[in-house]
Amino acid sequence: MPDRWRIALLLAPAVLVIAGLFMGGLVLGFARSLNYMPLIGLNDVNLEAYVAILSSSGFYRSLLLSTYISFISTAISCVLAVGAALILRRTFIGKPIVNFLFQVNLTVPHLVGAIGILYLFSQSGFFARLAYEFDLIARPADFPAMVFDPLAIGIILQYVWKEVPFIGIILLANMQTFSKDYEAAARSLGAGRWQSFRFVLLPLILPGLLSASMIVFAFTFGAYEIPALLGQNFPSALPVLAYDKFTDVDLAARPEAMALAMIITAASALMVYGYVRLARRHVRS
Amino acid sequence: MMRLLKLARKHTAEIAVAGLLSVTLPIAPAQAEDISAKSWDDIVVEARGGTVNWFMWGGADNINQYVSSWIGDELAVRYDITLNRVGINDTAEAVNIVLGEKQAGVDTGGAVDMIWINGGNFRTMKQGGLVFCGYVDKLPNNVLINWKDQSIANDFGLAVDGCEVPWNRAQFAFAYDESRTPNPPKSIAALIDWVKTNPGEFTYPAATDFNGSVFIRHVFYHAAGGPDQLLGDFDKTVFNAVAPKAWKILNDMKPHLWREGSTYPTSITNLQQLFSNQEVALYFNYDPAIFGINVEKGVFPTSTRSYGLEDGTIGNTNYVAIPYNSPNKAAAMVTANLLASFKAQYEKAKPDVWGAAPAIDVAKLPAGQQGQFEALPRNISVVSPQELAKKALPELHPDWIKAIEKGWQENVAE
Repeated sequence: MPDRWRIALLLAPAVLVIAGLFMGGLVLGFARSLNYMPLIGLNDVNLEAYVAILSSSGFYRSLLLSTYISFISTAISCVLAVGAALILRRTFIGKPIVNFLFQVNLTVPHLVGAIGILYLFSQSGFFARLAYEFDLIARPADFPAMVFDPLAIGIILQYVWKEVPFIGIILLANMQTFSKDYEAAARSLGAGRWQSFRFVLLPLILPGLLSASMIVFAFTFGAYEIPALLGQNFPSALPVLAYDKFTDVDLAARPEAMALAMIITAASALMVYGYVRLARRHVRS
Repeated sequence: MMRLLKLARKHTAEIAVAGLLSVTLPIAPAQAEDISAKSWDDIVVEARGGTVNWFMWGGADNINQYVSSWIGDELAVRYDITLNRVGINDTAEAVNIVLGEKQAGVDTGGAVDMIWINGGNFRTMKQGGLVFCGYVDKLPNNVLINWKDQSIANDFGLAVDGCEVPWNRAQFAFAYDESRTPNPPKSIAALIDWVKTNPGEFTYPAATDFNGSVFIRHVFYHAAGGPDQLLGDFDKTVFNAVAPKAWKILNDMKPHLWREGSTYPTSITNLQQLFSNQEVALYFNYDPAIFGINVEKGVFPTSTRSYGLEDGTIGNTNYVAIPYNSPNKAAAMVTANLLASFKAQYEKAKPDVWGAAPAIDVAKLPAGQQGQFEALPRNISVVSPQELAKKALPELHPDWIKAIEKGWQENVAE
């Protein structure tokens, strides 16, 4: 059988899944967002849902909150991951154990981590009870609010806890592809430790760091379960807003839910595009 | 062999189409469309060996246990039916499944056979033609249901019309810990003053939660001076007259609530956790039996007590409904009939099982069975359903509820 056919056949299963399920779902969602829902008689395509969303202050506050959570989580995770990767690069006593501990929470689902955050950091949680034991607080309300709070501390904590090993592992793998000779050369030429890091190591790991942080940003931007479990009601993160509209008893709210989902998708696509542009600028071959 | 392969290669297109058709052609429905025309005995026979996929709110372990074990065993032993309880977070999820199937043209092989449902979700299904109707008078246990009672014949103001079978009665009640809060507020007016003297000790779930929404409606009734002018279809002028008073009450309460009202618990489960962790002093629920269950589980202290409000609390009926495209309608009908039987209603009325109020009319039962209901012990933490029922307030038409929930979101939450 000619080569083209064989390639097409081998690619067919993956392409069918992506084109059929994913693209199909995207197209259907887009149609719904344009108010095309024959079941309850909405047959005329219009942009009402988008107008309603983009003119509601609730949407912008949710957008701001989602961006804030994603940005802070990604920034803190990147800094901590780079630090962790630099340390784990060396050899020291007990390295296998530390390596294992560093990676162990990669297998823990986000949901389980969120329950853990609730258990530890809520105002009647473990740390609050410890503080009560040591007479630091008198009632639950005295403990600082870290879950269901406006600064989304619990959510950011959960994301950082989960994403630091993720980015760290990518960086470690990245660092193994080039030798330490570059830094050694820089140091021998008189560069300080910070200069050696800033001008030699950082540019080398930047592609991996950028790609990992884009993944983390896009994920935290579109994730539903963590803000749903640990977040405030209002403003809620964008995916929570979309889901609330989707499960609204009123069927007519569905187009707005789909419109929100389309906006989140567009934002994520924008981020990926932004990454590709950035990567081209910073990657030196 | 080679000739066969060559032949196959020549007619790949036809073979592919034939293969595709044989897989996608709908299998002829196992049940005739006119199941409503069959006799009950035929339906029981047809139900044998069937499966019922029952989608219901799964947030209470005791209810899940009752359904999966007791109901499941009865169905298996008596009717050879397999019950598959599917726990969901929000009834709207099951409604969404049926809705999606209808949009996809799946009119016979639906994934959902039965839904525990009432109120706005039932309205969505009836409005969208998603529910199977006309079978309720076939069920032998239908004689036990008092369809003359307006609160049973109407689901949140919408006529049931033989589209669902009643399962439980529910009436809203408050709970408190008498060792921590010796004098809880016994009316909405008292609550408004109480939160000022007890800051941070009270909160209610956001309007998106069923129980949060009904609490807000109690405040609405209080602002309107009673439910009378709110009954019936949605009236915008009445709403616009009453709503600002209700929002003012809730906004005045806001700074004295838990977290100064900057956020509200997302669901009643969150409020339950806050209450059992002693972060708030008051709890409430549509199903007062849950207070007793929680005390038995050790989640609530044994000093928990409950009460209804002096002006009355809202009560309603909840039902089970069968989607129009269920492939196991006979088995689902047999299940619905079992749920409305004396044995099943009595079992779930036991306080250590659920303590749920029966949806059947106890007065229609023979004397011996009536006595059994009366002799049921009640957990001291649970207020007597008869006492609650003396001051039962009706539910509103779903359009009112939608307007109230939306109004709360815009005027109080934001």
